[in-house]
Amino acid sequence: MKDLQSIDKNEIAIEVKDVKKKFRSYQDKATSFKERFVNPSRGKHQDVMVLKGISFQVARGEAVGIIGKNGCGKSTTLKLLTGILSPNEGSINMKGRVSSLIELGAGFHPDMTGRENIYTNASIFGITRKEVDKRLSDIIRFSELEEFIDNPVRTYSSGMYMRLAFAVAINVDADILLIDEILAVGDSSFQKKCFEKLKEIKANGTTIVIVSHSMDQMYKICDRLIWLENGHIKDEGIPRIIGEEYLHQMENGRIDRIEEENRQIKDELENKLANEEKAEDSEEVSVLKKRQKELEYNETLKDVCKYYQPGARRGGTGEAKYCSVILENEHGNETNIIHTGEKCRVRLGYKADHKLENIRFSLGITREDGIYAYGSCKEFREAIASQGEIILSFTNALLSGKYVLDLWLETFDGQALDSIHSLMLICVETESDDEKGFCTMGRNWTLVQKQEDCNE
Amino acid sequence: MIQRIKNIYAYRDMIYSLVRRELRGRYKGSVLGFLWTYINPLCQVIIYSAVFSVIFKVNIEKFYLYLIIGMMPWTFFSSSVQGGSTCIRAQADMVKKIYFPREVIPIAYVTSTFVNMLLSFIIVFLAVLVSGFGFNVQTLLYLPLIMVVEYLLALGLAFIVSSITVYFRDLEQIVGVIMMAWIYITPIMYNMEYIPEQYRQLIVLNPMTPIVEVYHQILYYRMIPTTNYLLLACGASLLVFVIGFFVFTKLDKNFAEEL
Repeated sequence: MKDLQSIDKNEIAIEVKDVKKKFRSYQDKATSFKERFVNPSRGKHQDVMVLKGISFQVARGEAVGIIGKNGCGKSTTLKLLTGILSPNEGSINMKGRVSSLIELGAGFHPDMTGRENIYTNASIFGITRKEVDKRLSDIIRFSELEEFIDNPVRTYSSGMYMRLAFAVAINVDADILLIDEILAVGDSSFQKKCFEKLKEIKANGTTIVIVSHSMDQMYKICDRLIWLENGHIKDEGIPRIIGEEYLHQMENGRIDRIEEENRQIKDELENKLANEEKAEDSEEVSVLKKRQKELEYNETLKDVCKYYQPGARRGGTGEAKYCSVILENEHGNETNIIHTGEKCRVRLGYKADHKLENIRFSLGITREDGIYAYGSCKEFREAIASQGEIILSFTNALLSGKYVLDLWLETFDGQALDSIHSLMLICVETESDDEKGFCTMGRNWTLVQKQEDCNE
Repeated sequence: MIQRIKNIYAYRDMIYSLVRRELRGRYKGSVLGFLWTYINPLCQVIIYSAVFSVIFKVNIEKFYLYLIIGMMPWTFFSSSVQGGSTCIRAQADMVKKIYFPREVIPIAYVTSTFVNMLLSFIIVFLAVLVSGFGFNVQTLLYLPLIMVVEYLLALGLAFIVSSITVYFRDLEQIVGVIMMAWIYITPIMYNMEYIPEQYRQLIVLNPMTPIVEVYHQILYYRMIPTTNYLLLACGASLLVFVIGFFVFTKLDKNFAEEL
C-alpha cells in the first residue's frame, strides 16, 4: 500500500510534449535483399502521421481516459507511453513504475504452468521474484484459478488465460497503469471484479490512463477525458461533457454515412427501373418500386427529426403527418441523450390537408431489446387546426439504456394517418448506479436498527 | 548509457526467467530431453575425430581431446551468433506488445547458450580424465576468465546481428554462411602449427583464435595462458561488445514498427 499522505496531487506523473509519430506504410514491403534488388518499387512507402503533435499532462493519482474513433491514435498514444514505440519528435516523461494492461498474456509460455508463468510475466513488468513471492497468493486468488494453477497454460481456456494475465498485471502495484480496452475480460462477474479492483487502485493513488469505447466505464473511472481526432487533441475536460459531445458527433457521422449509402442505392434503383420499364412490368420491377418508395420515405424522415434513424419506417395514409419531432432536455436544447430524472419535452409538429377532429396523437418508447417501456396518447374530439404543434412534457423515469421512439397519428376508427416506427434512438443515462431495470421508482431506503443489548 | 544499464539491471529477473524458459522449453517434449545438450556435441566430436584422425591423419596427440576442448566453446559461440540473429524476430510478439529493455532478449539468449556450454564442460572434464592428461589446478583459474571474455564477444556479436536482422532479414542466412566458414579459420580441427607461417598473423585477427587457443592452453597444454593471447582475446571481445551495445541502442527504437 502506498502512503496516501505522500501523494501530492500537483505532482506531474506523465508529461507528453509535442509528440509526433509517423508510421511508414509499405504497400508491399521488401523484406530481403533479393526482393529489394529485383523489384525496387516494393520499397515504396508513404509516411502516415498518426499523431501530429499532442501535449498533455497527467497529475499523480489522476485517471485520464482517451477517446476517439478508430485510427485516431489512441492506442498509439498508449504504446508511446509504455515505451513500446518511441516518438519521432517531442518528449515523453513518465515518473514511476509503469504497468500496462495492453496486450494481456504476451510472453506466456504455453508449456509452463500457471504459477511459473506468473513469475515470468511479472518479471516482464520489472518485478523481482521476491516481490512476486509476496503477491503470489493475491494473484492466484484474484485469477480464481486455484485448482488449475499448476497445470500448463496451454490447457487453459481463453477466459482462464486472460484472467491469469489480468491478475498479474493488476497486482503489480504500479505507479502508473495504462489500460487498453481491457474490461472485456472473462465473464461479467470477473469484469465487475476487475472494475472494482481498478477503483481500488485508483483510490490508492495510482495514475491511470485508459483507452476504451465504453463511455459508462470511462465516466465511472476517469477524472478527465482527452478526445483525439486526426492526430490532434480536439478537446479535453470533464468526462460527461466531452463524452456526450463525442457521442453526438459519432452518431451524426454514422447517420451521414448511412444516408450516403442510401442515396447510392436509390440512384442505382432508379437506373435499374429506367432500364426495366421498357420491358413488361415484371415482379422484379414492383419489388424495386417498393424499395424506392421506402427510401423516399426515409428521406422525408430526415427532415422530420435531426436524430432520425436511417432504419425508421413510415406508414399511414399521409392525410395528416408529423412534420417535425424534437426531443428537448431540461435546458431546452435539442438532443437525443437524456438523463434519468430530467424534465424533458417532446415537441411534435403536425400538418394536415384540412382541419382535424376525432384524432389521437400517440407516442411509444421501446427499449433496444424490444421491451415496450412506455406509451401515452392524447385525443381530440373537437376540431383542431390543420397545422400546429403538440407538446408532451414529462419527467424521464427510464434508467440507462438505448430506446427507440415510435409515433402514431390516427383517427378514432383506427385508421392510421401517419405512423413512424423507430424514428429516433434515445440514449438514457443514469447518474446513480443503485438502480437496475428500466425505470426508476422513486425509491427510498430506510434502515431501522435494532437496539443491541449493551452491558456498559 | 548508464540509465540503460540500470534499466537492464532492473529487468534482471526477466532475463532470468527468459533463460529458464529457453532452457526448459528447448527440449520439452523430446524423449531424451536435456540429454541432447550432451549428445549433440558428442556426436559432432565423434564424427570430426573419425574423419580427421582416420582420413586426414591429423598429427595431434589425443586428437579427440584437442577437438572437444575447442568444440564446446565454438558451439557456444556459433549458436549464440546464429540464434542471436533471429532471437528478436522470434520474440516479435513480446517486442510489439510490451515494453522492456530490448537488450534483455539477446542477453537472455546468449546466457542460455552459455549455461549450455557450462553444462557441456562436464564432458570436457570427463574427456580430460579419460585421456589421463590430468589437470593443472593453477591454470584452471583462468578458465572462468576466458569464459567471461568469450561471453562478451558472443553477446556483442549477438547485439549486432540481432538488431540488424530486424531491418534486414537476409543477414540471418549470411550469418549462417559466415559461421560455416569461420570454424575453419579457427584452430579447432588443427593447431597453429598447421598454418603456413605467412598466414599465422592473419588468423590471429580472428578474435576466436586467441580465445580457443587459451582454452587449449589451459586444458590441453596445461600451461598458464600466454599474455599476448589473453590480451588479444580481452581487447577484441571488449571492443566488439562495446560496438555491439551501441549498434543495438541505435537500432532498437523502431523494433516494434519494423517487426
